[in-house]
Amino acid sequence: MTDAATARARFRRMAAMRAFDEACLEALRRKAIHGELHVGLGQEAIGAGMAESLRPEDAVVSTHRNHFHGLAKGVDRRALLAEICEREAGLCRGRGGHMHPFDPATNFSATGIVGASIPVALGYAHAFRLRGEAAVAVGVTGDGGSHTGGFHEALVMAGAANLPMVVLVENNALAISVQFDDVSPTETVSERAAAYSALGLHVDGTDVDAVAETFARAMDHARSGGGPVIVEATCHRFRGHFEGDPEGYRSKEERQRVRDNFDPLRLYRHRLAAAGVGEAEADAILAEEKSAMKALLAEVLEMPLPDPAGAMLYRFVEEARA
Amino acid sequence: MSAVAERANDRLAMPLPATIAEAIALEMERDDTILCLGEDIGRAGGVFGTTTGLQERFGSARVVDTPIAEMGFAGMGVGLAQAGMRPLVEIMFVDFIGVCLEQVYNAAAKIPYMSGGRQRMPMVFKTAGGCIGSAAQHSQCLWGLFAHLPGMKVVAPCNPHDHKGLMAAALRSDDPVVFIEHKALLLRKGRDFRHHPDVPDGAYTLPLGEAAVVREGSDVTLATLSASVEHALAAAEELAGEGVSVEVIDLRSVVPLDADTVAASAGRTGRLLVVDEDYLSFGLSAELSLRVIDRLGLSGLRQVERLALPDVPIPAALSLEKAVVPGPELIADRLRQMAKGV
Repeated sequence: MTDAATARARFRRMAAMRAFDEACLEALRRKAIHGELHVGLGQEAIGAGMAESLRPEDAVVSTHRNHFHGLAKGVDRRALLAEICEREAGLCRGRGGHMHPFDPATNFSATGIVGASIPVALGYAHAFRLRGEAAVAVGVTGDGGSHTGGFHEALVMAGAANLPMVVLVENNALAISVQFDDVSPTETVSERAAAYSALGLHVDGTDVDAVAETFARAMDHARSGGGPVIVEATCHRFRGHFEGDPEGYRSKEERQRVRDNFDPLRLYRHRLAAAGVGEAEADAILAEEKSAMKALLAEVLEMPLPDPAGAMLYRFVEEARA
Repeated sequence: MSAVAERANDRLAMPLPATIAEAIALEMERDDTILCLGEDIGRAGGVFGTTTGLQERFGSARVVDTPIAEMGFAGMGVGLAQAGMRPLVEIMFVDFIGVCLEQVYNAAAKIPYMSGGRQRMPMVFKTAGGCIGSAAQHSQCLWGLFAHLPGMKVVAPCNPHDHKGLMAAALRSDDPVVFIEHKALLLRKGRDFRHHPDVPDGAYTLPLGEAAVVREGSDVTLATLSASVEHALAAAEELAGEGVSVEVIDLRSVVPLDADTVAASAGRTGRLLVVDEDYLSFGLSAELSLRVIDRLGLSGLRQVERLALPDVPIPAALSLEKAVVPGPELIADRLRQMAKGV
């Protein structure tokens, strides 16, 4: 059974992640984000679960839906939110935006191209091996990304060289509108691990305790020389693929059913209770995280947008020095 | 023969690929963060021999024979660069870029900008282009494609001296560099080159983005790069016999593009011919012509001509290939037409 301190910490992490993406939705409503926004609401247990076994020297290469992975890796949330809100003080000076956060200080990066994260993670894994470092490269993708050629190619190479790479597949069963069951040749993604001499693990991605345990096992396996791992975490996307997605592919009732039955924070309440953390304390954690993000958003919205005169900067190193 | 003369003679007998391998080896020796990835680059030493001996010397973790998985290893290069290494990723033929362009133009080229300059991308994509009779899928140059997509430096040298110096510069650059060799040049030895076959022994770099005037002339300015420089020099030689003086400029890189050097020459001669083995439309020849016109004004030139691969897949039959790929004859013909006005 999960002890009170662990349960509290896991719940707080999930609460912080939910509050972060709710702040992003608020930023969008207040027109501080003018492009696409992909939030991870409903998938908090995965980000929170992975955070515990990530070390500073590990790398995470994430997706278009990357906020929780960045927070899990220790990316500064003020800089991340400022980047999402297109500010000069953002993580990437407002050049990357929400789909393209890069933080060399925490070895965190992402790509807006589905599946393209896994080959990049492979590069980190090779670098760690070459330098004799005990670090692990984590490539995150979704069920959609698991069908790409790059996913296969990177796992072929990682498997052949036994590299320290963990591929985290957040399987929310929807590649925008296309359902996993309709296009996958296998019932799960994790069972494909055998083809790459990798370890395949499958976990309920709405259960933060199960994710924490499974992800820790995957990281230990890769870190101790066991080779690559595919961790498939099944989960549910509460909102559209992007904000504004008309979601013609699922009914309102279906969406409500998912929210009612698979909310990782609500599902965790009984674990909190079993660990001796009462309802009032859990509510207080939610309120604290929400209020912290509200204050942070207010601060970020005061920050200036990038100066148009700098639009051409940072393509090449000499411009970065200028 | 003196030792120095003997050494120079050895150099002239050296195939161009051996010079390239030497350049890479010298850089790998001075910087242990450099590593090479690609198909057949290790045990085989590269299909043209440009990585010969590197795996024996630096081991299979720094000279990695990859499976035929370009998307996988191109992205691996991006991850290596982000992890503080300096990868050289070989795409055997530039035509194969289609299967992994994603990691080249969406990742390597854009990440420095997308990160607001916080993520460096010291990476070389080394590849072979150019026509040697292998038809539509194994003969393209494609430097215009890379140049059209922002964020990459694009280099295409024409002689042994520049291959060595520009490869060293590419490997020391903190920006992504696409280094395009020409297959016809890779089949040559030092002495087969008309220009700069001499190669110093030690490591040296050449600046990225500086064109070189390789033959001086007064009637027409001919700007080109890669193997076309050799063709241009042959054509200029022929035209000299007919009383037409052609200045030949080797651009050496497409990004950065040294339009200043070309404009300075064309401003004197009044006539500009851009020769490009890459496709004609939306490419180097139009871009350079316009940049020169920008500098000289619309009245600054009497003639601007382009000779490039017309917009057609490269045919297999020699008779057809010769009709479309700019070689010495096509270049000389075009110069002759232009010279009618001299």
